[in-house]
Amino acid sequence: MRDLLQEIWESLRRNKVRTCLTGLAVAWGIFMLIVLLGAGNGLLNAFMNDSDNFASNTMKVYGGYTSKPYDGLKQDRRIRITDKDAGLLRQPPFSEKVDVISETLVRSGYTMTYGRRYFTNVSLNATFPGDAEMNRVQMVAGRFINDKDIQDKRKVIIITHLHAKNFLAGGTDYDRLVGDKVKVGDLSFTIIGVRHGEENTDDRELYVPYTTLKSIFGLNDEVDAITFSFHGLTTQAESDAFENQVRTAFNTAHRAAPDDSRAVWIWNRFSQNLQMEKGTGILMTALWIIGLFTLVSGIVGVSNIMLITVKERTHEFGIRKALGAKPGNILKLIVAESVLITAFFGYIGMLLGMVACEILDATVGQSKVELFGQSIKMLDNPTVGLGTALGATVVLIVAGTIAGIFPARQAAKVKPIEALRAE
Amino acid sequence: MLIELKNIHKTYDNGQPLHVLKGIDLQIEKGEFVSIMGASGSGKSTLLNILGILDNYDEGEYHLAGKLIKNLSEREGATYRNQMIGFVFQSFNLIGFKTAVENVELPLFYQGVNRHRRHEAAMAYLEKMGLTGWAGHYPNEMSGGQKQRVAIARALITHPEIILADEPTGALDSKTSVEVMDLLTRLNREDGVTIIVVTHESGVANCADKIVHIKDGLIEKIEDNRAHHSSVFGTDTIMK
Repeated sequence: MRDLLQEIWESLRRNKVRTCLTGLAVAWGIFMLIVLLGAGNGLLNAFMNDSDNFASNTMKVYGGYTSKPYDGLKQDRRIRITDKDAGLLRQPPFSEKVDVISETLVRSGYTMTYGRRYFTNVSLNATFPGDAEMNRVQMVAGRFINDKDIQDKRKVIIITHLHAKNFLAGGTDYDRLVGDKVKVGDLSFTIIGVRHGEENTDDRELYVPYTTLKSIFGLNDEVDAITFSFHGLTTQAESDAFENQVRTAFNTAHRAAPDDSRAVWIWNRFSQNLQMEKGTGILMTALWIIGLFTLVSGIVGVSNIMLITVKERTHEFGIRKALGAKPGNILKLIVAESVLITAFFGYIGMLLGMVACEILDATVGQSKVELFGQSIKMLDNPTVGLGTALGATVVLIVAGTIAGIFPARQAAKVKPIEALRAE
Repeated sequence: MLIELKNIHKTYDNGQPLHVLKGIDLQIEKGEFVSIMGASGSGKSTLLNILGILDNYDEGEYHLAGKLIKNLSEREGATYRNQMIGFVFQSFNLIGFKTAVENVELPLFYQGVNRHRRHEAAMAYLEKMGLTGWAGHYPNEMSGGQKQRVAIARALITHPEIILADEPTGALDSKTSVEVMDLLTRLNREDGVTIIVVTHESGVANCADKIVHIKDGLIEKIEDNRAHHSSVFGTDTIMK
């Protein structure tokens, strides 16, 4: 091994400028690959920031309007979802797949007051404990609604940290608010928790126990939405089939056509997530391909230079063969040289690419753009992971081998008599 | 019998066939010092290439140290060359970017001998050639005679069956030529190395005990030259 490296070093030392210029092409190729993938990651991270806010194995069902007449009833009939529908999901065939069910009621247009500070037009979101997991509610202080709150219809409330910050006059000691009272409309609620509210969006809902809201307003069994989580689905087809099963059950319960897609609205987050993953996959594949094509020009350069080197060293290979070098010895020498050039300059390119990604993160990654009234990040953490770095290493070694193999075969074919004659 | 050639034929086919060797029969014993003489185009270089397993032949049989050398693969050819043959070329054929000692080590490198033992052996042979002080020098820092002595050390390091020297003095002045031929003669006399020298200079050929004259692809005559009076450097010769 040491001998091989020494031989390669001797050879490279003689052609410094040429080697460096060739290496530059490889370094540039891998640099572009890393920067492209980093920027791609940043773009995806920025887009998908939102999708982290709920568990992907959930569906949310809302009431809608029938789109066709059925069973003697006319179309455009309003469907209202009720407690009984949630009961459907607790029975076969759904019970084996469905894990957690949460019903939601939303009442808007209240004013929330805390001392002299207040918020107008807030919404009360009456829900169940299971919602915390399904909607990925992040608590920053206190706790979420529990079963006892539901059972006792307690007048408790979860506010967001954005409200809390205002109440504390800019402070962040959210724990101080837990146990305090706020007024919502004419009613007094005890703050039991502060949750993280997404900045730059209208994520300002206040959570209260489902039963509390229902008893206060004396509502009937109507709900706004039913959210439930499930397990055991993997493919898009399974997801679609399950969604249809749910739709058919709901439609039947409300005397709507089983295949009426507007009688109830189903937000299938699992399906959405699958499609997102697919889209992400396509984008990343496209970036890899573009990056690799950039790299190809570098590889062709290495191959070209190795061919010239082999031509120049024909006489030397002739001597080596006369002295007993087997074709394999020569092949190994050239391929190893090619891999070494590619890997060495490739790593320089990779390193520079990662530095460029960090610079991108520090500049563009911190800036935001206004889009549809919301300010969003253009790039979020535009860097590559260890996996990509390892992938790029494999690419470099494979590329170096490919670049070397053709010239190496040329070198191994050198006939000693012809080579020794050519002086 | 170390070398046994039976009815060797060789035809080059570059556009039109050229029958270079037309049936060579030759036997060489271990420890002999033989020179092969002939004008250019006589086929002596082709014969040397066949003896050195650098080229193959079309017809006949070549036995080297009891092994039939015929239709070898490149790998086998390389192994036999490495183990049984030491080459000395007219233009030395040292590798320019390697030092003298690295050049001498090279055949052992291809035998897989480790660094340390390789270096030791190479230094021993350089010492024998009186070149200890030049071990770290590159070929372009040495004189022709020194380069040829490095090449001889390289040829000897694997203890080959034969040393094949192709016009070993062709690129040297007459004084150095004498030194190199004396060195080869001494190796033959003292160490019993079998040496075959191909040359067209009668002065060089005269150092050998047996002179094989080749003409038009056939052995014209084999001359017993143990008395070494066939011709001498500088007299009755085309020698420089």
